[in-house]
Order: sequence, then C-alpha cells, then structure tokens
Amino acid sequence: MSAAMTPLLWLALVAPLPLGLLALWKPPYRMRDVVIAAGGLPLVTLWLLSRAGEGALQGSLALGGLSLHWRLDALAALLLLLTQLVLLASAAYAVGHRRAALSGDASHARFWPLLGGLAVALGVIWVAADLLLLYAGLELMGLCAVGMMLLPGKAEAIRAGLRYLLYALVGSLAWLLGVALLLGAWGTLELSALAAVAEPDITTRIGMALLAGGLLLKAAIFPLHGWLAPVHASAWTPVSAVHGALVVKASFFILIILWRLLLPEAVAAAWALGLLGAAAVLWGGLKAWRADSLKQVVAWSTVGQLGYLMLAFPLLAGAAAPVAAMAWQSTWLQLAGHALAKAAMFMAAGNLMFSTGASRLADLAGTSRRLPLSLMTFGIAAVTLMGLPPSAGFTAKWLLLQASLASGQWLWAAVLVLGTLLTAAYVFRMLRCSFVEEAPRHEFQPLPRGMDLTPLLLALAAIGLGLVAEWPLSLLRQGGVP
Amino acid sequence: MTSIALILLALFCLLDRYLRRACVVFIAFALVMSFAWWRLGAPWLAAAELLLGALLTGGVLLHALGRAGDVPRLPQRDAPTRRGAQAPLRWLAALAWLGLTALAMAALFGTERLILAAGRLPEGGMISLVLSGLLVMALGLWAFAHYRHLLRRLLAFNVLGSGVFLLLAGLAGTAPEVQGLILVGLVVALVGSVLGVLLLRRLHALEGSVTLESEGGP
Amino acid sequence: MSAAFFPVATLATSLLAAAIIFLLPEGAFRARTGLNLAAAVLKIGLVAWMVRGLSQGHSYAVEFPVLEGLAFVLRADALGIMFAGLSSLLWLFTTVYAIGYLEDSPNRRRFFGFFSLCVASTLGISLAGNLFTFLIFYELLTLSTYPLVAHRGNPKALAAATLYLRFTLTAGLVLMLGMVALHALAGDIRFGQREVLAEFGAEQRGTLIAIFWVLIAGLGVKAALVPLHGWLPRAMVAPAPVSALLHAVAVVKAGAFGIVRLVYDVYGAELSQALGLLTGLAIVASVTILYASLRALAQVELKRRLAFSTVSQVSYIVLGIGLFGPLGTIAALSHLLHQGMMKITLFFCAGNYAEELGIHRIDELDGAGRRMPLTSLAFSVGALGMIGLPPLVGFLSKWYLGTGAVQAGMPWVIAVLVASSLLNAAYFLPILYRLWFCPGPDHGVGEWPAERHLGRFETSSWLLVPALATALFSVLAGLFAGLPYSPLEWATRVANLEYLP
Repeated sequence: MSAAMTPLLWLALVAPLPLGLLALWKPPYRMRDVVIAAGGLPLVTLWLLSRAGEGALQGSLALGGLSLHWRLDALAALLLLLTQLVLLASAAYAVGHRRAALSGDASHARFWPLLGGLAVALGVIWVAADLLLLYAGLELMGLCAVGMMLLPGKAEAIRAGLRYLLYALVGSLAWLLGVALLLGAWGTLELSALAAVAEPDITTRIGMALLAGGLLLKAAIFPLHGWLAPVHASAWTPVSAVHGALVVKASFFILIILWRLLLPEAVAAAWALGLLGAAAVLWGGLKAWRADSLKQVVAWSTVGQLGYLMLAFPLLAGAAAPVAAMAWQSTWLQLAGHALAKAAMFMAAGNLMFSTGASRLADLAGTSRRLPLSLMTFGIAAVTLMGLPPSAGFTAKWLLLQASLASGQWLWAAVLVLGTLLTAAYVFRMLRCSFVEEAPRHEFQPLPRGMDLTPLLLALAAIGLGLVAEWPLSLLRQGGVP
Repeated sequence: MTSIALILLALFCLLDRYLRRACVVFIAFALVMSFAWWRLGAPWLAAAELLLGALLTGGVLLHALGRAGDVPRLPQRDAPTRRGAQAPLRWLAALAWLGLTALAMAALFGTERLILAAGRLPEGGMISLVLSGLLVMALGLWAFAHYRHLLRRLLAFNVLGSGVFLLLAGLAGTAPEVQGLILVGLVVALVGSVLGVLLLRRLHALEGSVTLESEGGP
Repeated sequence: MSAAFFPVATLATSLLAAAIIFLLPEGAFRARTGLNLAAAVLKIGLVAWMVRGLSQGHSYAVEFPVLEGLAFVLRADALGIMFAGLSSLLWLFTTVYAIGYLEDSPNRRRFFGFFSLCVASTLGISLAGNLFTFLIFYELLTLSTYPLVAHRGNPKALAAATLYLRFTLTAGLVLMLGMVALHALAGDIRFGQREVLAEFGAEQRGTLIAIFWVLIAGLGVKAALVPLHGWLPRAMVAPAPVSALLHAVAVVKAGAFGIVRLVYDVYGAELSQALGLLTGLAIVASVTILYASLRALAQVELKRRLAFSTVSQVSYIVLGIGLFGPLGTIAALSHLLHQGMMKITLFFCAGNYAEELGIHRIDELDGAGRRMPLTSLAFSVGALGMIGLPPLVGFLSKWYLGTGAVQAGMPWVIAVLVASSLLNAAYFLPILYRLWFCPGPDHGVGEWPAERHLGRFETSSWLLVPALATALFSVLAGLFAGLPYSPLEWATRVANLEYLP
C-alpha cells in the first residue's frame, strides 16, 4: 500500500470545503471553471479505487484523548466516487441555473460553501468507522442540507425548511440517545470493536431502535417521510438534485451498516423494516401518481424509490450466503442508479419548469416538440427509475428479484412488480401530458446548453451503469457482505 | 441538589407563557448544566456549555424576541394551544421514545454492565444523573409534542438535548468520547437554534405566523 | 475481429442512426432521409454478409458479463439471422413509405428517431443470444414504440398508447419474473443449450411447466394471443407506417419470435413435447385464430379488419410451433417471414387509400381498383396470399401446417385450418369484390371522402413503390420457394438444425 494514499484520500475528502469558500468569495460564472476546479477529485478517487484490491485503507485521527477511526473499503470508495460525480454535476448545473434563472439573486453565492460542507460531510460519513465521526458527519450534512433548502427565502420554503430542521434535530437526538445506550452498554464507539463485543441483548436492540428511528426520519422512510415533498417544492433545482440523490441515502447507508454490525440476525425487526419499505414503495408511487406538479412527482418518487432499498433488510437477515450477496449488490446498485437518475430527473424537471414557466403537469403540453432534449433526459432517467433495461435500476431489480425468489420471500417480488407498475404509471402520465399537441402556445425560454447536457450525461450514466455493473459489483464482492 | 435544580429550572422554562422569562430561565438552566459538568470533572465541557449553551444559544433565543428595525416584534406571550390532528401521533412517538429509554435503563442497571462509568463516578451520582436526565428528557419531549409556538419548540428541543447529554454522562461517565459527543451535540443545538430563530423571525415578518401550521390547515 | 464486429456493427447502424437523427434539426429533411436510407441499405448489406458467412460455417458472436453468472450475448445463428433479414428488408420499405407518408407533418425528427430505435431493438431481439439479452431489447422495443403510437398527440392516439403500455409493460414484468425464476433454477441458458433443461429430473417438471406458461403469458401479449390481444386493434390510430411496423416487422413478430426461441432454443422441442406444452400452445393458437377471424368479419373499418386478421395470422406461427415435428417447425418459421411480407403490403395499401382518397371504411372502397389499379393489385396479392391461394406464399404456410398436423398426430388442426381459411376468404373477398367490381366515384357513382392528387402516378411514388415491392416479394417467395436463401429453404435449414442431431 503506497504511502501517498492516505493524504490523497483526505485531500479528496476535505478539498470541497475550501473550494466552496473560494466560490463564496468569487462565484464561478462558467461551468468550465467548476469542472476545472473540482474535476480532479473523482480522478483521485478512481485512482484509490484501482488500488482497492490491496485491501481496505484505514487509520485513526487523534484529537487530545480522543481517537477517531476511519476506513476506506471498496464500498466507501465507490460511494465517494458517486458522491463526487453527482456533486460535480450539480455544481456545474448550478452555474447555469444561476445565470439563467436567478440572475441578480445575491443569496446564490451562499450555495457554494454549503455545497462544499455537504461534500465533506458525505465523504466523512462514507469513511467513518466510529459512531462519533458518523455523528459529526451526519449533523454537518443535515445542517448544510437545511441551509441549502432555505436559500430561496420564500415563505413556503421557510415553513418547509423549519419543519425539516425540527425533524432533523429531533432525529439526531434520537440517534444520540441510541449511541449513549450503546456506549453505556459496551463501552466503545469504534464500529469494529463494537461489533466484536456487542451482543444482541435488549439494550442493543433498544439502542438500535432509537438509532434507526432517528435515521429513518432523516432518510424520509415511510411513515416518517412527511417533510420531504414540501421541502422540495420550493427548493432550487440543483439543491433538490443533491438532496434527492445523496442526502437521504447517507442516512440509509449508516442504518444498514450499523444494522449488519449489531443485529445481523434480527429477522423480525428486519421484516418490519422491509414492510415499511414496501409501504413506502406503494404509498410514494400512489402519491407521485396523483401529484399535480412536476416537482412533486419527482419528490414523491424519491419516497417510493427509497422503499426499494429497505427491502435489503429482510433479504440480508439470516439469509444464505448467495442470497445475501445478491441482495447486498442489488442494494448498492439500486442506490447508485437511483442517485444518478434522480439527480438527472430533478434537473430535467427543473429545465422543463424553467422553460415553460409553469410547474403543473397539464402545462407541459407541446413540450415534446419544443423541448425534446429535456424531455428525452427525463425519459431516460425514468427508465432507470422504472427499472427497465438496460439501466442500473433493471440490473438491480433483476438481482433483487433473484434474491427474493431464491430465498422464497415472494412478498418482495410482488412489491417490486407493483412498484414498477406504479412508477410506469406516474412517469407515463407525465410523458403523456407532454405529447398533447392541441395546446395553447407558451413562450419557451431558451436554456444554456450545459443545463441540458449535464442531466443528459447523468441519465446516460445511470443507463450505462446497468451494462457495466460487473465492474463495481466485483469490487463490492471482494469486500464481502458484512 | 444540582439535579433537583435542573429539573425545576427545566419545568419553569417550559411552562412559562412569558417567552422572555422562559428564555432567561433557560440560560439559568444552562448555567447549572455547566456547573454540573464542572462538578463531574469535565472543566472543558463546562466551559463549552457556558459559552455555547448559556451565552450563545440563550442569547440567540432572546434575540428572537428582540427588536429589529421596522419589522414587528414577535408576541411576547404564547396563547394556550389547541389540539391538532397530528397530536396523537406525536404523543405516541414521544411515549415510545420514553418507554424504550426507561426499559433500556432498567435492563442496564439490572445487569451491572456499565463498563466505562464504573469507578469514575460514585454509584449514587450516576443514578441521580440518569434519573434527572430521564426526567429532563421527559419534560422536553412533552413540551416538544405539546406546543405549536416555534420558539417554545426550540426551547423544548434544547432542554430535550440537555436531558440526553445528562443521560449520556450518567451511563458512560465523562470519557473523551462522551465529551466529544456532547460537544458535537452542543454545536448542533446552537446552529439549529440560530437557524430556527432566524427563520422564525423571517416567517413572522413575511406572514405574521409563529407556528408551522399555515392559516388554512395543518 | 469479424466474429464480434458484425453483430455489433449491425446493431450500431440503427442505434447511431437514431442518435444522429435526434441531434439533427427538425428542418433537415434531406440529411435525415439520406441517413435513414443509407442506414437501412448498410444494414441489409451487413445482414446479407452474415447470412453468407453463416452458410459457410462462420460464427458471429460477442458477449460480456453484466452480473456474476449473467452475460450480455449477441450472436447470429440461423434462426436469428432469418428474423434479422426480415426486419432489415422490411425496414427499408417501411422507411421509404414513412418518408412519403409523413411529408410535411410535424415532429418528424422524433418520429424517425424512435423509428430507428425501434428497428435497432428488433435487430437486438433477433441477435440476442440468451433470454437476458432478449429481455433488454424486448423492453426497449416497448419504450421506443410508445412515442410512435402516441405520435399524433390527439386524445384517441394517447389513449391507445396508454393502453398499449399497460399491456406491454405488465407483460414485460411477467416475462422478467419468469426469466428470473428460470435463471434461479438453471442459471444463464444460452439459446441453443437445450440440454440444460432437458437434464432436470421429474421432480422439477411442475416448476418448468409453470415457468413456461408464465413466459408465454409475457410473450403472448406482444404476439397478441387471445385473450391478451386487446391493445392491437386499438393501436390502429397510429400512422400507417407504424401500423406496418407493429403488425409485420417488429412488435407482434418480436412476441412470436420470442415464443419460437423459448420453445426451440431454451426448452427444446423434445422437452416441450414431453411436458405437454406443445399441445397447450396449439390449442391457444387455434382459439386465437378462430376468434380473431370471427371478430375481423364484424369490422367495418379497413385497418381494424386488418388488425384482427393480424391477430389470427400471427397465431399460425404459434400453431406451427405447437405441431411437434419438422414440418410444423418449417411452417412456423416460414410463416414468420411470409406473414410479414403479406401483412406489410396490406397495410401499405390501406395507408395509400387513406392518404390519396381519404378512405377508412370498407364500404368506401367501391371502385377504388379503377382509380388506384396498382395499389389495388398489391392489395389483392396480399389478401389472396392470406387466404392461402397457390402459388402465393400463404399457401405454402398452410400446406406445411396441414402436413405438420398429420405428422404430429393432431388431425383436428386441419379442421381449424379449413375453418380459418373459409373465414379469411369471407372477410377478404368482399373487399376485393368492392375494389374491382363495384361501381365507384370513377364510374360516376358518389365521390371519394377526401381525394388528393399526391403524385404523378395514382399516388405519391414514395407510397406506391414500397407496396408494389413487398407484393412482388411475396409472389417471388412463393414462386421460387425451392431456391437457396428463399424463406422456405432457410426455414427448412433451421428446422433441420432443431431436429437432426
């Protein structure tokens, strides 16, 4: 293992914050600047990934009497790469968005340090190997996310943001209480040590329940999803993209990692989580289907799609090794595919809304002729969400179906089928509106080319990931299922 | 003594309808918290609580009620609240939270496995910390579920957080990890309060409302 | 190099054409037309090259892993290349026809982009080397045909497109479930590895049978088996070239081709017969043939009558599959090609009547043979072929079906064939009678619904030439059925591969 890896990793993790502060002082006016400034970070991660075969990179930071543990394995590195790519795309999009939609809005500059902070927080969460570091990352992420959501400064945005803030704060207290119980019972915060000593007794279970409660609230898992849709309604497009793609996923990531470490055999509780996921798939799908405005469709679809991730819990709990391996791979593939596609979809929806100046589905009439590229992007992203081939969503669904059939848990297969049909229903409801020809002519605002291309690239990446899934999945398999 | 003072101050802070007085009581509560940390042998934590909890968070909460240019001030007194449609759900969540914690406490003390805390704190001090933590937490939860006024909910959140810190210290002593967790918690509470207060003032300036519920419905 | 090059290049031809068409501006009519035609011709060339290479014993395949134990496989085998040849040949004609048909209409970029994507999917279906790859292109076909069906953007078209989606997406899911179940049971089966399933013991028979019918339910929607055919007649609101595509080249054929693959290359004819699956297929096909023919009789709109005729004719393919033995197989495979040529002719002609004279209903056709003799001639060739008049290709299909039924020991099928031929005659002959023998506007009786003069001949030559060409092909395929590379000869070659060890 080369000595340069650790400093490089921390460079890749921390660099976004100074970049964000730099951008606060001197906001970028061209997408090129953003790509030049931050484009090197994914390359660093790629290089780290290419060395992933040599085993996980780990270490600890000493702060006074306190030592914080971190660990970069293949999963963390892949998630870091995903984060960097999505954030880079959002940053590039934000430049265009500001130029096209928000010229003269001075508060836009505040977006950059928040984005930088968010990037650092997500990176810390992926590599954290103890509960204190996770706590710090989670809180930094939550506060940055709330801050970004509030940037537009309208009354609805403030109300939704306040609700989000209160939920996030209470969620983190639930998390802290859970951590307190685990610490009191087992005397350590380091994950591997905790996994070694902790037994699934009643204290661990209650601590885990409190942790899970806090995380589910932050991840907007049914029935704690109430804050999600209103928050997106008034947020800026690049913020929605980052939030829907990454922020909610981070809480899920922490939950599944802790769950596998502390309660790997708790079948009944895992089924409860799986049932919550199933309810989320159906409820989110139904709400997205009935939603009137484009952004609400996309936001509710996030609620539904997060439910698919929860199906991993029952398929992993006490399952045979091949089933667990399939469920594990499918979860991360689904997460990555959804992150790319959801970011693309928010951006495409934002483009459509900006160009037509309307946000309701019925006002989309005629867009298939006037805005074919944005619509196409929306459609390609939707292919991943629906899980149709050859997208990452399809490959993930194939694995998940195979896992649920192999383990005899037919219920999840039924949920997948219903969820797919619901997704198709709301996607094509929207596309159908855009095909209508007899419509009053709107004024269509022209879009900067980059605002069209960025989501298109993301959506195509989500499709392509389905075909080249073997590369990340083989890396994942090396790490095994925890 | 300290425990009783904390519980009483939390009670007064949360029950008082006069918001300015409630904020002042909260500052006193934070001062007593700071004193408690000092007594437990964590002077740095005591300093942090003094600065972040009492001075900054308290100051920010008071700032919410202050004057700012030509914008109307927040009302200084909160009217009695009516029950909302979501109330049962909130109560259920709060009760589940409390019940689970109490159950875990019972299990922990039953098995005598409090590894870190053993030897660092006298047995009685530990129990009184945990008990006062539980009570403060219960008060905070009740207030958070009950009130609609956002400033009172912020106060309740801060009290609830302090209860969790006390519980944490009671369970695990004042090891560096615990101090780290509490420090992060204090910073988060401060930033959360700042954001909340700024937003509340803005919401009040825009719409004249001090609750999350808009005029039409929940 | 060439082993991997040809399948990929053939696929890439249409995919690239689609991408470039989407990038071209709406007004670039000449560039788009040139690109379309060049891609179509190039693709026929590539497919022809592979046909030659295959008969000389070369093999063309490319694959890479997508998941652990699951690969994306493109492979040209005799059966696949047969379907690829059909679709690329008919695509050329349909493209020419569509260029003429959509002259001056809006959204041509979108139309031709998805049109190319649709044909790329059809080609992918034909070259797919395992069920997983097949499913990828099968779903891509669903997605790329939706904008074509919804093309006109009026409420009727949108409703039809939504119905189409409901049927096909649900079917796609059912198909996926079946494939995942089969994969979980037996792993990644390449087409042609019939021994994999044949080795399963008696205790797995129930599972195999269940999976088979789940897969048939998934494929049967696109193949329009009764009672899963509901979308097809409704999709008639789409423009005529799209109908031709749906009925003759791509969609229903993809379903039928999938059933062919499933029975011959996954389960194998022997196993299917042993499990009693073939008899079931033959019964489903017979019901479909008779029911759809009866429904066709009752239609007054020309395109709807043709649609029900498609439902019934495609089931001849399924019926042929259901007849165990080489003759049944030959009938199924050759009808896959024959039906395509005849049905595309009929739809081109129906489109010509609608474009030139505004005719949509059958009773408006009186005397159209005098006004549009060449179109009517082509229509008559197609219709007589459907009825099964020798020496047209339809006769060959029915002959092999009949002899195949005797070989398979299912004489009742002959009764079905006779009944359906009578019904075919009953719904096609009145149309021919009206075309040639009833006095119409050109004899001074009444007037055409909306007459336009589109070209120097009876209609625009973009519309006329494809109809005549496909009609000519179906005559030639019948007359020279014994020559090498004729549809019948190639079908016989495939059937021999299946039954001779």
